[in-house]
Amino acid sequence: MRSLFRPAATSAALYWHLAAAIIASIAIIVLLHRLLGPRGRRWLIAMVTLLGGLYLGMEYFLPVRKDMLWPSHIPNPNPARGANLLSPGIEPVGNMLSVIGAFTVGLGIYSLCQVHGRNIIRRRSGWQNSLAFFLSMLAMLVFGMWSYYLPKPKIESPIMPWPKATYEVLFNGLFNPLQAATFSLLAFYIASAAYRAFRIRSAEAALMMAAAFIVMLGQVPVGAWLTSGLPTTGAAGFFRLEALGDWVMSWLNTPAQRGIVFGIAIGGLAMSLRIWLSLERGTFFAEQG
Amino acid sequence: MMASAPQSPWQRLQGIPRYYIYLLLAAVVVWQILFPIRLPITPSAATKGVFAAIESVPDGKLIIISADWDASTQAETGPQTEAIIHACFQHHKRFALMSLGAPMGIKLADDLARRVAEQYDARYGVEWCNWGYKFGYDNVLIAMAKDIPKTIGTDFHGAPVAQLPMMAGVTEISSIGLVIEITGLAGISEYWIGLIQGVYGTPFASAYTAVMAPGYYPFLDSKQMKGMLVGAKGGAEMELLVGRPGLGGAIMAAQSWAHLFIIALIVLGNVGYLLASASERRRR
Amino acid sequence: MGSLEHANWFMRVLFGAMCAIIVVSVLLAQRGRQMFIRRIPGLSAIEEAVGRATEMGRPIFFSPGLWGISIVTLQALAILAYVVRLAATRLTRIIVGVCDPTIFPVAEESVREAYASAGRPEGFRPEDVRFVSDQQFAYALGSVGIMSREQVATSFFFGMFFAEALILSENGRALGALQVAGCPDPVQIPFFIATCDYVVIGDEYYAASAYLTREPTLTGSLVGQDIVKAVVLALIVLGVGLATWYGGAASEARNVLFKLLAKGA
Repeated sequence: MRSLFRPAATSAALYWHLAAAIIASIAIIVLLHRLLGPRGRRWLIAMVTLLGGLYLGMEYFLPVRKDMLWPSHIPNPNPARGANLLSPGIEPVGNMLSVIGAFTVGLGIYSLCQVHGRNIIRRRSGWQNSLAFFLSMLAMLVFGMWSYYLPKPKIESPIMPWPKATYEVLFNGLFNPLQAATFSLLAFYIASAAYRAFRIRSAEAALMMAAAFIVMLGQVPVGAWLTSGLPTTGAAGFFRLEALGDWVMSWLNTPAQRGIVFGIAIGGLAMSLRIWLSLERGTFFAEQG
Repeated sequence: MMASAPQSPWQRLQGIPRYYIYLLLAAVVVWQILFPIRLPITPSAATKGVFAAIESVPDGKLIIISADWDASTQAETGPQTEAIIHACFQHHKRFALMSLGAPMGIKLADDLARRVAEQYDARYGVEWCNWGYKFGYDNVLIAMAKDIPKTIGTDFHGAPVAQLPMMAGVTEISSIGLVIEITGLAGISEYWIGLIQGVYGTPFASAYTAVMAPGYYPFLDSKQMKGMLVGAKGGAEMELLVGRPGLGGAIMAAQSWAHLFIIALIVLGNVGYLLASASERRRR
Repeated sequence: MGSLEHANWFMRVLFGAMCAIIVVSVLLAQRGRQMFIRRIPGLSAIEEAVGRATEMGRPIFFSPGLWGISIVTLQALAILAYVVRLAATRLTRIIVGVCDPTIFPVAEESVREAYASAGRPEGFRPEDVRFVSDQQFAYALGSVGIMSREQVATSFFFGMFFAEALILSENGRALGALQVAGCPDPVQIPFFIATCDYVVIGDEYYAASAYLTREPTLTGSLVGQDIVKAVVLALIVLGVGLATWYGGAASEARNVLFKLLAKGA
């Protein structure tokens, strides 16, 4: 059994392992689909959730021993830190989760192709945008992979090969500036949202406004310039805008942030307990019997 | 059809169309980019903390610069990264770039490092290298702490990192003298602090965009972070400390006036609101 | 460094106590004990928001945030299921824009089940649960495009949001949509407050499933977590007091106090 989880010794063995894993996975999924009804599937999900959470939780809580011996095929951790019986599995389990996550990228692409493909086939309004989606996806895919797998020339040339140049135009010339431009929209939205929403309707709002002005001016050189007449040290130095802003962030903001973090962490603990014990009603248990 | 009631001047003051606001803001920023009014900048204690952390890295240890940013936050994180790389070269500290959360940004960081390295005649693989983007967040950090060359595998260019001259003697986390996280993405610093700084005591410093920095002041206060660069101002302050004025300082001029403009807008809106409320009360 | 990789005795005791409090609270609720939850305006407004879309005959847009499988997104999907059940009974179309591909099949299944549980399995349209993009700003612009083209009457933003939050909500506001947002991360809350009609803040977000369903198990868990918060608060006060009493600057004040007390005695 243990040999099943050892890394493959040769590439041929790796391909056999992959083929066997794919066939076994398909067989298991088909069997489960046929043998288990909806209640059975929910029970299975609850069991797998419980066991998965139990493993990670127990690995954290079980006492550690500094002299813990490791199986030879698992990377040997630093013996000084200690480990328990479940520790060798943490990395393989983490890698497994990453691999499962990677598979779902294909699902996302499938959904995009389905939605946009339907738009083009049925000539819905805006179908040209869907065509642009396919063209840009193919362009990035083709030129990205082509420039990656392009063989390195024996003699370095100052002229970039045209597939790589096309990829550079698409990535550095289009994608990056578009990202930066979209992010910079936020500056305008912040200005209009602040102008529209910030009204002094109460004493608390006035306090918040004052704090906001202090921090905004303290973050830029013009704030330091406005109060540059004040000394940098002593009691008067406290009222320099950059010092006031720093005080607001360190002495008012920090405790508030800590309080929020505590509250969210405890809320997260309760939510995690509910999900682990499959008590959470909603996504998976809409029709709990 | 009923005609809409005429708006009082105070109501009009509260309802300036957003297109005028956008145009004016754009004009203010462009004006300052073209004709900057530069004002003096004083480095904050948090910025000095980052500089001091780089200075105090023991010789023989490596600095990890985790450049988890991409083109969207480049205006803030780009100058921060550049200034930090200057500091590393000036103090003869070897560093490795990497990314946990921004696969597209690591190339931007690489281009930046190459440009700066030319100014110091620094050689790739000897004074600096780029480990590239590594997928897996906590899995990568847990594995990296125990065996860095095996976890990283190949660098950004596909070459085995173990063959790089500067990686000689770099085995596990004790070979690392400082981790600097530069990011506009929330959540990644918590991995570094929870899995590396907290467990192994590796010194940690950071650089964030201005909007997310307030959430990380608790880590600075509890000394889990040696220092923190905050937004474009942090980048400008770091440029001052390394003596290489760059984009950070140029951005500060535009940011100063943009902040003043937004404050003026808020004041205008509130003047209109208060006067409209007073006028309404008088009418009643 | 003590308790981050593996638990020490203090973490075992603290964690055990916190879990025990929550579990006991759940058991008490299951046995019929009435537990009070204060009104959370953002969650109470969900029904009103769905109703608005129904009256206007325009669809609803729901965004479960940017993260993949996590407690934040699972809570968002639980809220999505509730919203879909409401929308399905009122024959209102709901469009879900998904950012993380790992969430896409889960969201699709969740929406399908919600339609079925509302007695309208035929109302489910697979093309209304869409993977938009896994890139933050491409997702924001794609979602804004969906909201604009479909002229949504109501938008829901529940989950983990980052810089794109303001892009989504400001454009929704410009469309005249009624917007309800909830995000446990405090960084984006100010932007949502400036642009949305109702906002669910901090750990009100984690109370959503309990608040909306009023299931005894979930209500008990919510009350248990509030008790745990009170315990943590008491520990903080005790710790601050001890640190102040035995701390450097305070020791001088303590000596002065002892001298005064000794003089008075």
